[in-house]
Amino acid sequence: MITNTKCECGHQNPVGTVLCEACGKPQHEEPGGNSSELLEMRYDGVARRSQRANPNFIDKIWNFFSSVKVAVYLISITLVGAMLGTVFTQETMFINIDPSVYYKQKYGTIGEIYYLLGLSDTYNSWWFILLLVMIGASLVICSLDRVLPLYRALSKQKIRKHMQFLTRQRVVYQGPISGHGEEWVQQAIAPLKKKGYRVHTDGAALLAEKQRFSRWGPYVIHIGLIVFLLAVLFRGLPGLHMDEHYWFTEGEITPIPDTNYYLKNEKFTVEYYTEDEMSEEFRQRGKAVPKLFETKAVLYKCVDNCNNPLEEPELVEVDRHNIRVNDPLNYKGFQAYQFDFEETAEIRSVSPTLVDQETGEHYGKFTLRMNDPETEYDVGPYHLKLKDKYLDFDLDENKKPITKSGEPNAPAFLFTITGPGLPEDGGQFIYFPYLEQQKFFGQDKLNEALGGVNNKLRFDLLAMEDVDFIRSKSYLNIRIDRAMPFVWTGLGIVMLGLIMGFYWQHRRIWLRVDGDVLTLGGHTTKNWFGMRREVSSFLKSMGIEVDEKSLDNGGNRS
Amino acid sequence: MGRARRPVQIIILTLIVILGGYAIGTAVFGGEKGRPQAGDNPPAFNLRGLDGQVHNLEKYQGKALVINFWATWCTYCVSEMPALQTQWEKWQDKDVVILGINTGEDDLTVTNFVKQTGVDFPILFDKNKEIVAKYGVVPMPTTFFVNKRGKITSIHQGELDLKTLNQQIDSLVNSR
Amino acid sequence: MNLLDISKQAFVIAFLLYCVAFCFYVVTITGKKWKNHEPQQHERKWGRVSFVTSTLGLITHLVYVITRWAWSGHIPVSNMYEFMSFLSLMIMLAFTILYLIYRKALLGLFATPLAIIIMAYAAVFPSDVQPLIPSLNSIWLYIHVTLAAAGDAFFAVSFAAGLMYLLRTVDFKGTDKSARRQKRWLEITFYSIIIVVGFIVSVFAFRASGYEAVFTPKAAPNETAKVSSAREVYNLPPIVAPHNSQLESADSFLGFSKPLFEVPGWFKGVNAGRKSNTIVWALITGTILYGLLRLILRKPLSEALSPALKGIDADDLDEISYRAIAIGFPVFTLGALVFAMIWAQQAWGRFWGWDPKEVWALITWLFYSVYLHLRLSRGFHGRKASWLAVLGFLVVMFTLVGVNLIIAGLHSYAGTD
Repeated sequence: MITNTKCECGHQNPVGTVLCEACGKPQHEEPGGNSSELLEMRYDGVARRSQRANPNFIDKIWNFFSSVKVAVYLISITLVGAMLGTVFTQETMFINIDPSVYYKQKYGTIGEIYYLLGLSDTYNSWWFILLLVMIGASLVICSLDRVLPLYRALSKQKIRKHMQFLTRQRVVYQGPISGHGEEWVQQAIAPLKKKGYRVHTDGAALLAEKQRFSRWGPYVIHIGLIVFLLAVLFRGLPGLHMDEHYWFTEGEITPIPDTNYYLKNEKFTVEYYTEDEMSEEFRQRGKAVPKLFETKAVLYKCVDNCNNPLEEPELVEVDRHNIRVNDPLNYKGFQAYQFDFEETAEIRSVSPTLVDQETGEHYGKFTLRMNDPETEYDVGPYHLKLKDKYLDFDLDENKKPITKSGEPNAPAFLFTITGPGLPEDGGQFIYFPYLEQQKFFGQDKLNEALGGVNNKLRFDLLAMEDVDFIRSKSYLNIRIDRAMPFVWTGLGIVMLGLIMGFYWQHRRIWLRVDGDVLTLGGHTTKNWFGMRREVSSFLKSMGIEVDEKSLDNGGNRS
Repeated sequence: MGRARRPVQIIILTLIVILGGYAIGTAVFGGEKGRPQAGDNPPAFNLRGLDGQVHNLEKYQGKALVINFWATWCTYCVSEMPALQTQWEKWQDKDVVILGINTGEDDLTVTNFVKQTGVDFPILFDKNKEIVAKYGVVPMPTTFFVNKRGKITSIHQGELDLKTLNQQIDSLVNSR
Repeated sequence: MNLLDISKQAFVIAFLLYCVAFCFYVVTITGKKWKNHEPQQHERKWGRVSFVTSTLGLITHLVYVITRWAWSGHIPVSNMYEFMSFLSLMIMLAFTILYLIYRKALLGLFATPLAIIIMAYAAVFPSDVQPLIPSLNSIWLYIHVTLAAAGDAFFAVSFAAGLMYLLRTVDFKGTDKSARRQKRWLEITFYSIIIVVGFIVSVFAFRASGYEAVFTPKAAPNETAKVSSAREVYNLPPIVAPHNSQLESADSFLGFSKPLFEVPGWFKGVNAGRKSNTIVWALITGTILYGLLRLILRKPLSEALSPALKGIDADDLDEISYRAIAIGFPVFTLGALVFAMIWAQQAWGRFWGWDPKEVWALITWLFYSVYLHLRLSRGFHGRKASWLAVLGFLVVMFTLVGVNLIIAGLHSYAGTD
């Protein structure tokens, strides 16, 4: 079927055109009809790119996504879906739960239904992602279908428009003028230019236009959103993204798995507000409020022996930062965030002095690490050989020493000591670095039972400095996110588009003089109030007094 | 411009389908990297052995692997050691390797233990507990059976007795 | 007198000035019909008086913010009290901007009470200055919260304009289905507003009398000691008791000293008992207030209000409502989404985490984008658009208040009642 799409002015319009691309005459009205309704001015009445006389399958899909109505439905469904996801806490918020049990236990039957409907992980569900994908598709296709025809229409506007086009605008003025039409139009140029319009004339017709760029605002927003969505999508590609949490013991260099980096927590600080810093009322509540969490961190990069477990890796310091909440370490896309901490009183190492029980003589000091200790020590005339180590000491039913767990709760060290006054093959000596555990497990009794040393020697911790405690551990969130620059770019484009589209308006004034009658039509994308004010002020400068309100053509709005 | 329209439409729709499929796919199937399951490739490692050598998956390519995670403080690990040793003696000539990955203990402790129990299959040190985490091991012991093509065939949590172990290894060797 | 005292004084003075300004706006609008009066002159004169008063209120309100800021060293938006009073400041600011554009005194008649209610609501929360916890200690607190509040404030003004449009255009004499439905919903809207007022009134009434009742959970023999919350303190007389609890102590109120109901077991959450008690009280007080108003006016509130809008151009209201959203939308996007993402990236290492507050900010954004898209199409102006603007504000308020009270999550403030 071929419809005649030729306008009476002789212009051939594409299928779906509402207003003639050239003269602006409305196209789909019964001939002779005397409609005075306001014109549909969106997209300037041009046909959407994809509109065809005979759509096939691909066209139909295309047209589906090209419709604003569909877009509105998609957004609305997404909105409702997102709402449902906030009813109960999402399973991704928990670290260790079994969702199939948790929701039923916590919220009862409703919770169970919620889980079974898949709403406990709404934002990762196939349907939610599908909705986002469809919105993405709609963003692309809607924009593409409209922006090109609109661009064409706006870049080759005819100055003299059809009479109906003018009188059926929302801002309309019609009235007599004195003098010659073309001269009047020439005079009108200056005041319009003063208002920032670009003015084109064609005999006794005039077109004044300003801020056309704001028309591209919505499309810029859509482009920004697409960039954003794509960036988010590709963020998850392997290698571009990492998100792990690790403990960093104060004073130690800790390797970060799957990277070439090592991080040293030099010092962790937690500070609380003092009473002076609180208001009177708040002090009475007696609540302690933390002021600062800070990990003094040094980042090292491994340059040699990185993947060789037999050799010590060679590290080079690459960055140094005091990591605080809101102030992460950031080195070339490698990021460390303060997440949590733990205060401990774990011993890292002790430096006991070997003391003669009988004479009280001090033979000397040696340093014993809890983790990976040396196995041989020479202290004064004595030789200490570490025979065994128990990280979490206990005795089994046969009174044999064992390690009870993997946690360093009660470290104990069994030495064989040789030297003056001891048997030839040495005496056995067990040592507990924690004083309270020496009593609890009965170190002296155990040593008596072991025999050999015969109460001749003991290990004494003489000064505070002889014990090296691990004061705290800092829990850091280690992240690598290489797609972030694209995310920010996308959002930047969105903001640019929003500002273009919402804080400026594309305003146009058409006028033509037929004999001694002036007909003026005005259109703006937003802010009709301002438009009327501008037109009335323009007319005033031309010597025509009009009330702002009377310019309003009334009727239904577009 | 009318002629270029159809290819443009098709290209854009195809792109949307591909990207959309990828998005939904990663959301539904990916995301949770979690612990390896039967059928997966075992995560890579590069560890020092008690023998002073480096052990990794490449070294044992083409062999069936029994990867056992253990610690001296874990009683069940200790009590399954003899079974592992027995099977090691039985199968080591048939391209089966048993690897005992110790989780985070000192050389001294491990050496003492190995001396006491007399096991002689390769013992590896996972000092930083990095590999345990990668394998997602929660209870100890956990044993991973990996076939000759480098796929995990089964994962056993808890103590293994001689019989089950034998069956498992047998099916490992005979599976193609 | 230190800065904090000045700040507290300023808060009260600003509140009173807004109330006076509201009265002046009432005089401006209703006084037009007085006898021996030139209506336009009256409106011009009183409109100016009202605007000056509300602007004075705004300035005093700013004094409150600045002095409190100076005293505490951080911008006062870090808890519910501070945020809500900041929001009402922003609403007044948005109103002032739109007033300067459109010069419609009538807008003040609806914007000022909105600011007043929100300011009074702020005062329900503990007003002491709380030290800033490390996670809030960031420059983004200033930027994110202020801009988000500014965006929301424009939506609030749009709500006021939309509501006015509806009051202006709904046919109160109409008997067809659509007219009746609209009348009903308008009335429900006003009833809901009165409920909020009822809530504020009851809280202040009982706070003034220093009422308190305390509940302790009943010891369950077969349960271990991990009962969720130990004690619940009510500041309103208990109508609803916490689930499975016993009364420890209660002041007597009208002879009642015992709760009438118990919260059903399925209603869970922190302080479920106290929250539902508060809601019941709000409903009761609100309904009584509403009933009294109906008795005095002898007709539905919306119908009683509508004559004030006679002679106002409905299209102007529609346009103001649309314009407010158009101004607010980019501000909201920037403040509540973009800057929120930047901050989240910096504080938590992820720019988006589907935290309830984040999701609701997104919902608000989606809602207004639907509005803006619908606005493109024919026939979506005036009535339908105004209803959407009214509904949109409900979404905004839920995001700001409801999420914190009901859902919480990472954005939970201290001291939410």
